[in-house]
Amino acid sequence: MPTTLTLNLAPVTLNAPDDKPLLWALREEANLVGTKFGCGIAACGACTVHVDGVAIRSCVTPLSAVAGKQVTTIEGISAKGPNAVQKAWIEHQVPQCGYCQSGFIMATTALLEKTPDPTDADIDAAITNLCRCGTYPAMRSAIKKATQLQKAGG
Amino acid sequence: MAKFSKTKRALLIGTGVIGGALVLGTTLAWSRVASGKNFKPPVKAGETAFNAWLKILPDSTVVVQVPRQDMGQGIYTTLAMLVAEELDADWSKVRAEQSVVNPVYGVSVLLGDGAPPALRPAMMALGPVLGLQLTGGSASVRDGWMPMRTAAASARAMLLSAAGAKWNVPVTELTIEKSIVKHAATGKSAAIGELAQVAGGLTPPSTVNLKAPKDWKILGTSPARLDVVEKTLGKAQFGIDVRLDGMLYATVKHIPYVSGHLQEVRWKNGAPPKDVLHLARGDNWIAVVSTSYWSAKKALEEAELVGGGDTGTVLSSEQLAAQYNEVLDGKNDGVLKPLRRTFGEHGNAEKAIASVAKTQRIDAAYSVPFQAHASMEPMNCTVQIKDGKVDVWVGNQSPTVVQWLAAGNVGVPSENVTVHTPYLGGAFGRRIDLEVIRQALACAKLTDGKPVQLIWSREEDITHDAFRPAVSARMSAAFDDKGGLLAWHHRIVGPSVTKNVMARMNPLVAGDFPPDFANADGAAELPYALAHFKCDHAQVELPVPVGFWRSVGNSYNGFFVETFVDEIAFALKKDPYLFRLELLKDQPRYAKVVDAAASAAQWSSALPKGWGRGIALVYSFKSIVCQVVDVEIVGKDIKVRRVVSAVDCGTALHPDNVKAQISGAAIYGLTAALKSQITLKDGQVQQRNFDTFPLLNMAECPQFETVIVHSGAPLGGIGEVGVPPIAPALGNAIFAATGKRLRGLPFVLG
Repeated sequence: MPTTLTLNLAPVTLNAPDDKPLLWALREEANLVGTKFGCGIAACGACTVHVDGVAIRSCVTPLSAVAGKQVTTIEGISAKGPNAVQKAWIEHQVPQCGYCQSGFIMATTALLEKTPDPTDADIDAAITNLCRCGTYPAMRSAIKKATQLQKAGG
Repeated sequence: MAKFSKTKRALLIGTGVIGGALVLGTTLAWSRVASGKNFKPPVKAGETAFNAWLKILPDSTVVVQVPRQDMGQGIYTTLAMLVAEELDADWSKVRAEQSVVNPVYGVSVLLGDGAPPALRPAMMALGPVLGLQLTGGSASVRDGWMPMRTAAASARAMLLSAAGAKWNVPVTELTIEKSIVKHAATGKSAAIGELAQVAGGLTPPSTVNLKAPKDWKILGTSPARLDVVEKTLGKAQFGIDVRLDGMLYATVKHIPYVSGHLQEVRWKNGAPPKDVLHLARGDNWIAVVSTSYWSAKKALEEAELVGGGDTGTVLSSEQLAAQYNEVLDGKNDGVLKPLRRTFGEHGNAEKAIASVAKTQRIDAAYSVPFQAHASMEPMNCTVQIKDGKVDVWVGNQSPTVVQWLAAGNVGVPSENVTVHTPYLGGAFGRRIDLEVIRQALACAKLTDGKPVQLIWSREEDITHDAFRPAVSARMSAAFDDKGGLLAWHHRIVGPSVTKNVMARMNPLVAGDFPPDFANADGAAELPYALAHFKCDHAQVELPVPVGFWRSVGNSYNGFFVETFVDEIAFALKKDPYLFRLELLKDQPRYAKVVDAAASAAQWSSALPKGWGRGIALVYSFKSIVCQVVDVEIVGKDIKVRRVVSAVDCGTALHPDNVKAQISGAAIYGLTAALKSQITLKDGQVQQRNFDTFPLLNMAECPQFETVIVHSGAPLGGIGEVGVPPIAPALGNAIFAATGKRLRGLPFVLG
């Protein structure tokens, strides 16, 4: 049951059961471990990746659902060095344990693609991931900084 | 001062661990102790190790050996700063590296922490004998403070000696600035990397002088954390990210009850499905080894685990609360076997309270539920057993204990066990436990040398955590005729976390157990002026695994004490902030912190209708934290709007990280104060995942402001100290807004 998709701009065929969640196909078959397992029920967002540019939770997305689609992971957006969101993340020194950060960065990157100048309410509505270390205050500052960096051309 | 000395607790931890090592059947570190003092870490070609704590590379990169684990508290950075400072190193060329396991890195301050001054040196001297690398008790910087700075100053002296000999100039005329050794008179200079090989071979000086704080260039500033870039790019490696050739995956399922034993495994189709390569079994669990976590998990869904045979298979939270009340009523409940002890006393509180008129006393009862740690990285461990060697990759808070466990479990000498410690995706006390390691070892014994990565599902993590215990308390206080606080009596009921953790580590230490001072942390020694004071604790035996949860005893005692202080202030018609100052008239260091928080929060400023403001002060891990919370009540919704904290940790070595830890810990505490709890019904945990154990999220997160109060007092801890005051400060704010006093967590407005 191989599934063919575009992963971080490269065509790949992943040989895994159709119902295997994309998260585990990424981590086990594609060896991309930047996307994290947190809950398995789409509640924490640690597994957030982009499918055709939209942030989704890969722990509940079957591999078969992304056949023929563009999937981007944290490794994909980091390939050419940090993007605007990641630059802001570094400037504001956001991570503590760091485990949930890939998911937040993917969710934020997708938000800023669609809403380049989000209000606090936009941020609250879109960034529903969970961080147990409590890095939310630094994240909010970083998201605002990222909008500026993005406007200035990244 | 406590009636039962903290020494006993430290000794107990020491003996527990020694006992653990012996029982685990390994050659305890004794034989290696002698080697510890002169130990140098393994080096790669070109690297020079100066001592146990640092290496210098030819390109002048300084590689600091960090024997503590980074679980988010930023310890790689702060410990590396200690070395960089005394070495006068270029911070941009400093790296941190997890050290190997060696007795030289054993904790000392953590052991000495609880001992009275007279016995403290003896307890600390136990450190290198035990050789226990352990991250906890907010003690890592305090533990590294002397050895790491001394090691760096020693390396600095060796570098100067090498340069002095090379240039034939007096060492006293040499300086180091940003990793460059200079001789001003001749204009000669050399990077430390050029001198390292020769310098590393010199005899270390017998004594060194450490810098005075006024001369610090790095400490006290906030350089970029060493781990932030890789954690931002998704490149940081956690235990769950380990990938090895031919690696298999495993996952585990426990019996549905918090305690008891596995009796029978019933497979849906009568036998394990075909994806099951191997099956391991423990006292209350089974693990499936497969080619993927997903296939292992799916296979386990077909297994029904029948278990029980323990009082924990029938326990409910309501029943436990009733049993706690019986214990507090003085009844000798045979089920919980209360062991009654007094942890702090002066004057005669009971007599003083009994002798005042009813109008001059106040009584209140409080409780907190069980709590899960819920680290974002689910529990996991990777093991390979091959050719008589054992490799363990695990995010654990004590690689030393992991080494002992693996050696004893597999039956090989300790030196044949290599513990690899990646980053920990959160821990909060959770990763001191060994169960996941035992399970991974059991799986790896079945796979003919192939590595196995065992991962717990979130459901297993929530239902089979070692919980922060449920605890109840009753408080009584008496006032004098002038409205002054006269007497205070605090009675607590709950299990001993230390005993429980040690017993899981080594069943032999489960029997008679010395007093666990952590039971009364945050309750036995209060800064407030009280003529009569008593703190009693009834230690009970629960059929529920409990563990160290960020700030441990302070997490519940801080809530009890600071809510009660607020209740007393209200009864006396006094402002809660001014009332605390009144009680702190002989404690200027505390008063300053309270003042700093109140001032930053503009304590007396008006709030909109429906809002309230509360304050709380807790001393824990040698640091003082005061928090002021502004809350808005919308219907029955409690919306935390702002948290202002003031912290005195002696000296803030990395102020930005201090602030990040304080707000992070407060958010951790807010989840427990507002959103989550673990409850039991028929012996089963009723929460399973983040849908039923929700965490505070971005939208619910208040604004934070943190003020650092610099006292220059001996260093205090920082990783846990932001937790204890947040729940009482919030509860006190809710009272200010609504007039409703909430005495249990999480807060619910009826």
